[in-house]
Amino acid sequence: MTTTELSGIGVRGQGRPARVVVASFASCFGCQLQITNIEQHLMDVLGQIDLVYWQLTDSTPMPEEFDIAVIEGAVTTEQAESQLKELRSKAKAIIAIGSCAVTGGVPGMVSRDFYERPSQVYPKVPHACGKMITPRPVSAIVNVDFETRCCPIDPYDFVVMLQRAIYGSNKLATTRTLCSDCKRNETSCFFEDGTLCLGLVTSAGCGARCVNLGRPCLGCAGLSPSANLDSARQCCERYGVDARAFDERLQLFNQTNPAVEDSDR
Amino acid sequence: MLYRVIDAAELPLLVSAFMQQYEVVAPVKRGRSYVFDAIEHPEDMVLDYPTTSASLKKYFLPPKETLMRFNAQTNRVAEHTLEVPPRVIFGAHACDINAINRLDQVFRDGTYNDPYYCARRDATLIVGISCTPADSCFCHLWDADEARFGYDLFLQDIGDRFLVSISSVEAANILESACNPREATDQDRIDFRHATRRRQASFNPGIPDIQDVAMLMDAFHKDDFWEELGSRCLSCSACAAVCPTCFCFDLQDRLSPDGKQGERYRVWDACTSPQFAQVAGGHNFRPEGRERVRHRMYHKLNGFLANHDRMLCVGCGRCVKACKADINPVKVLEFFKQKGADDASAA
Ligand code: SF4
Ligand code: SF4
Ligand code: SF4
Ligand code: SF4
Ligand code: SF4
Repeated sequence: MTTTELSGIGVRGQGRPARVVVASFASCFGCQLQITNIEQHLMDVLGQIDLVYWQLTDSTPMPEEFDIAVIEGAVTTEQAESQLKELRSKAKAIIAIGSCAVTGGVPGMVSRDFYERPSQVYPKVPHACGKMITPRPVSAIVNVDFETRCCPIDPYDFVVMLQRAIYGSNKLATTRTLCSDCKRNETSCFFEDGTLCLGLVTSAGCGARCVNLGRPCLGCAGLSPSANLDSARQCCERYGVDARAFDERLQLFNQTNPAVEDSDR
Repeated sequence: MLYRVIDAAELPLLVSAFMQQYEVVAPVKRGRSYVFDAIEHPEDMVLDYPTTSASLKKYFLPPKETLMRFNAQTNRVAEHTLEVPPRVIFGAHACDINAINRLDQVFRDGTYNDPYYCARRDATLIVGISCTPADSCFCHLWDADEARFGYDLFLQDIGDRFLVSISSVEAANILESACNPREATDQDRIDFRHATRRRQASFNPGIPDIQDVAMLMDAFHKDDFWEELGSRCLSCSACAAVCPTCFCFDLQDRLSPDGKQGERYRVWDACTSPQFAQVAGGHNFRPEGRERVRHRMYHKLNGFLANHDRMLCVGCGRCVKACKADINPVKVLEFFKQKGADDASAA
C-alpha cells in the first residue's frame, strides 16, 4: 500500500463534513452493497460525512469537488484508468475497497493472456466493452491512502478506514500473514490433514474468517508484501500438499500480483 | 506444602464444587486438537489431554483487551469497568503453570505492575494436573517439567488416586468440602515416585539436551544458521500466538461507528511481525525474517534469562506444531548439537 502524507492528519477541519464519493469499476457491486449491511449503524456513519455521490444509488453525474473517493473494482479499460486518475487528482484521500480494487480480485483472474480472451468470448467485441486493458488493482495506477480488504469487505472494517481518512490516524498497516489470527481462534490447521490453505501467505486482518467457518483461506485479503512464497511451497510439500495446487490457488485473487508466477506483468 | 490423597472417582465432585462459585475452564477436545474452554459439566473435560494447541495466556492477557474508553468529542476519558469473572483453570500442565509464573515476572512482580493482568490473575485459581510428555515436549530441558509454585492445587495421577499438593486456603477449603482428602500413605508415596520416574523416562530422547544454551546463543550470534532458519519465516507470528510466554502487545485506538466514542485496546503483537521493530520516521531495525526469528529465539533462550533468571521458553512444544515453516527452539538445540559434533571431529 502506498501511504500519502494525508493518512496521519485526515481531511476534516474544513468547517464542514468530509465530502465523499463512492465509485465503482469492474466488480459485482457487492462491496458497495456490503456497506449498507452495517444496518443499524448506517445513519451514524452517514452522519459523519456528506455523501455527495454513490454510484449504486445515483445516476446523476459525479460532482466536481469532493474530499474522499471510495473506490470499488478493478481497472479493466482505458476509460476506467483515466477516470481513476481524475478521481485521484480531485480526492484528498482514496480508499480502495474489496479484493477487486485491492488485488485485482476476481476480474484479475483472467489477466493471464488477457488480450486473447475477448475474442474467445465474442465473435465481434462489442463497443460497450470499452478499450480493454489487462485487469489491475487501483494501486497499480494511483496512490491509495487506505485499503479495506477481502471479498466482500467487512462493513465495520470499512468504517474504520473511512474514519481514519476523516479524522486521521498513524496506525501502521501490518503485513503479517494470517496464521496468527487463525491460532487465536484455536481451530485446527488445515495442513495437519493435508488440506491446502492460503493463510500462509495472505495478509492478516480478517481474523481467519473462513477457517473459522471450516473452509481453507482462498487469499481474498491479498498476498502479503511479506509473503514468503518459496517457504510456503516447501511447507506445502512438508505437509503432503502439492505445491502446484498452491500456485494455482493463488491465481484466484492474486493473479495480477507481480510476485505470483504467470502474472502478466 | 500440604499433601493429601483423593480417589479419582471424587474428581467430578471437586469440579462441581468449583463450579458453584467460579467459571471453570478446562481442556476439551476441539477438531483435531485440544483447547482450554469454559465447561458446563465435569464430564466435558478431558484430563489426559496432550498439550492444547493454544495456551492459557488468553485468560490473563486476552488477544484483544479494552484498556480505556474515551469521548472522542471532548477528548476525555470515559467510564470503563474491567469485567473479571472469578475463574478456576482446571487441569493445567506443569509447563503451563511455569509459563504463567514467567508472565507474573513480567506483569506482576516487576517495578510497574499491570493492573489488568493482576486483576485477572488475582481472580483466578489454578488446579494443575500431571501429564505424559508428547513427542514435541521438552519442558524438562528448561527445568519447567515440575511446577513448584503458581498453582492452588496440583493433582498428581497415581493410578486410581490423585496425590494433591495444596497451596492455597481457598482451594483447600473447597477440596475439603467436596471430597474426603486423606493423609498420604507409604504406598501413595511409592506410587508417586513410580509415576514421576515413568514420566521422566518418556521424554523424547531425540531432542538434544544442550548445556549452556544461553552462552552458545551469544557465541553463535553471527552464524549463517540464523539466515537459514529465518529465511524460511512466513511472517505469520503463529509461534508467538500459541506461545504461553510471549507477552508482547500493541496499543491501538478505535472509534465507535458514529465517531463519538473511542476505545483504546491492546492486541497481541510479536517480534516476528514485520512491523514490530518499525519506529517513528519509518526505520525498521529488524526488517528481515532472519533478524526477527533470531530475535525471538534470543529473547526466549538468552535475553530473558539475563534479566529474570529463567528461560522465556517452557518447552511446551506448541510452536513446534504451530510453525508451518519448521522454526522452533528444538531447531536451535539441534544446531548446537551439530556444532558440538563438528567441533569434536575437528579437534
Ligand atoms: S488453517 Fe490456514 S490460516 Fe490457519 S494456521 Fe493453517 S494455514 Fe494458517
Ligand atoms: S480467510 Fe482468507 S479467503 Fe477467507 S476472508 Fe480471510 S483472507 Fe479472505
Ligand atoms: S517462526 Fe514460524 S510461526 Fe513464527 S512467524 Fe515465522 S513462520 Fe510464523
Ligand atoms: S517458544 Fe515454543 S516451546 Fe517454548 S514456550 Fe513458546 S511455544 Fe512453548
Ligand atoms: S519472543 Fe518476541 S514476541 Fe515473544 S515475548 Fe519475546 S519479544 Fe515478545
